[in-house]
Parts: sequence; structure tokens; C-alpha cells
Amino acid sequence: MRRLLTAMLVVAAWVPAVAAALPDWSGTWTPFISDQVKRIKTDPVPWTPAAAAQIAAMTAEEKAGNPRGLFVDCLPEGMPSWMLISHNALEFLFSPGRVTLLGESDGNRLRRIYTDGRAHAPDPDPSFHGESIGHWEGDTLVVDTVGVLPQAYIAVSEAVGLPNNGDLHVIERLHLAGPDTLDDDLTIIAPHVLTKPWKTTRIYYRQRSRKYQIVEGVCLEGSFTPGMDSHGNAIFVPVPQVNGNPKPP
Amino acid sequence: MKNSRFAMVFMLPFMAGSAAAHHSFAMFDQTRNVTIIGTVKEFHWTNPHVSLWIYATPKDGAAPELWTIELTSPGNLTRAGWTRHSVSPGDKVAVDIAPLRDGSHGGGFKKLILTDTHQVLTSDFLEKPGLP
Repeated sequence: MRRLLTAMLVVAAWVPAVAAALPDWSGTWTPFISDQVKRIKTDPVPWTPAAAAQIAAMTAEEKAGNPRGLFVDCLPEGMPSWMLISHNALEFLFSPGRVTLLGESDGNRLRRIYTDGRAHAPDPDPSFHGESIGHWEGDTLVVDTVGVLPQAYIAVSEAVGLPNNGDLHVIERLHLAGPDTLDDDLTIIAPHVLTKPWKTTRIYYRQRSRKYQIVEGVCLEGSFTPGMDSHGNAIFVPVPQVNGNPKPP
Repeated sequence: MKNSRFAMVFMLPFMAGSAAAHHSFAMFDQTRNVTIIGTVKEFHWTNPHVSLWIYATPKDGAAPELWTIELTSPGNLTRAGWTRHSVSPGDKVAVDIAPLRDGSHGGGFKKLILTDTHQVLTSDFLEKPGLP
């Protein structure tokens, strides 16, 4: 009996110790945007020749000022573009067996990363953010993502990028690189548009000041303006749009 | 040198054109500057882009022209010191914009001066951890 009690005490002491062993990723994380831009040059995307030709044409169009934009329809950026090019903040929630990433746009985008030891589903329903399974290696969260829609972009900017076209696999290693700096080391495997896995890193900076807490971001809200109906009710009235902007008067 | 990047401070000039939360700013001609002087009609503090609607006062006494000016997201403007009350309808302003390439009455935001208080607002912010 005493041995059993001792064992129970050891377990009771061990469980919170494991929970406490997770790193502190609280706060709001803002992307290091200038570095996103720089890394496209330092970690060039290994596009296939056919993909590279399309990217060159899109880049020329953007330079000429003719952007359609990849995300002006307000569909989610999805994976891996959210991590690659977002200018908006994100935050992490830790709960037992699960890490959740919440973002600031796309109607408050989110990623569910299961850390409860499960394997990938044999045939996950395709989604913008895919099916993410994670595990901790010390203080590093390793995330394996499959099941991403073929239409989800691999974006290098908001105007330039290509759909992954299927069989996308993303491996991430998220870890603190300083007290308030988080690195996401990405390996992006997209056999239909890339000749080899693309390895790159995205950096996020922690903000603790309350004014940086994430605000609601409903992408389509920008397509409306506050108005009033004939009963005096507060309603949203559509604003004519061109390329994701209010159409100038 | 390994940690040098954490000590560096980067000022992100959003007039450089990479600053959208949602779409490219390439439709704005970043090589040109147009100053719109007038009165604020509406200020929309919404994602993905804040927008500013201004009645510009033409010099020749003609009827006011309505302009729409596109800014970055509320989150990024907050980092630059703005709130949703930074600009209000009726405020007299002078706004520098990169005009739309097609010549219509719109542009990408560069700088705003509130004429009555001389307060200057930009969308530049620092990129570093632990901002105040």
C-alpha cells in the first residue's frame, strides 16, 4: 500500500512538472516583415522551370503595377503562406495535447496542432491549413502538416506565388531563438511546383504591451461600410471594390 | 555575432509598398507624391485595410472631390501609434499619397498632418520585440 501511495505521489508530482516544462510562448507575436522579404533572396524558392516562368511573369506584372493579388478574395492565406508572408500578428494557446495558433486576419485564422501522440489520418479532408500533428523535442515544437488544399498558395508576396497543386507537406520547427524572438524553421515539400524541399525561416517578435493584443480581423469587413436601413437599424452596406480596395469615387 | 539580429532595430517604411495585410500596393505609383488637402469624410478602422475618405478642396473654388486612401491594417497602425480615434470625420488634413496609376481619385497612404494641431501621423513602425 505504501509503495502504491509513493508511486501515486511520484506520478502526481511528475504530471505538473511535464506541463510546466513547456516553454513560455505567451504574448502577441509580430512577424519580422523586412526579413520575410529579404529571405526570398537569401533562401530562394526552388521552383520548377515551369513554375519559375510563371513567377517571373507575375513579378513583372507586379513591378508594372498590375496586381490582381493572391488574397483579394478574402479566402484564407492557408499553409504555408500564413507563416511565410503574413504582416499580421499571431498568438499561441497551449492546452493538454494541443497547440493552437490564432491569427489576426481571415476572420481570425487558426491552426490546430495536435500534440497528443496521434498519427495523421489516412486521408484527411483537404483544408486551407491542413492537418497538423506536433510533438515536442525539448523546447522545440515540431509540426508535420499534410492534407492542405492544392489551391493553397506558396506565396512569396501578396501578389506573387503559385498554388501548391497537391501533395504538399510542411515540416516546421518552432523554437525560441532569444527571450522574445521565435523562429519557425520551415521545410516545404511541394513536388508539383518545387524541385526539392524549400528550407527557410520566419521570425516573430514577442509583444507584451496590451495595445498589441490581437484584434478581430474579418477580411470581408473591408468590403462594407457602416450604414443604416429604412428602419434605422445599423447595417453594413457593400462598398464597390477594385483589386481589394474601395473603388475610388 | 550570432545574436546580432536581435539587437538591430528595423524601421519598416510602409510607403515602400510592401505593407499590405491583404493585397499588394503595386497599383499605387510609389515614385510619385500627391498631397491631398481637405476634410475627412470617413475613417474606417477595419481589417484588412484601414481606409480614409477625404473631401479634397480644389484651389480654384470648384466643388470638393472625394478621394479614398488606403492604409495598412489596424494592428500595424497600432504599432505605429495610431488608434481608431486618431482621425475623425470633419478633421482638416493634408495627406501625402502615392496616387493610383490609373489616375482615379485614390492612393496609398504615406503621411498625414492634422492641420489644426500640426500632429504628424505615419505608418512607420519599429520591428523588434517588446515594443512599448
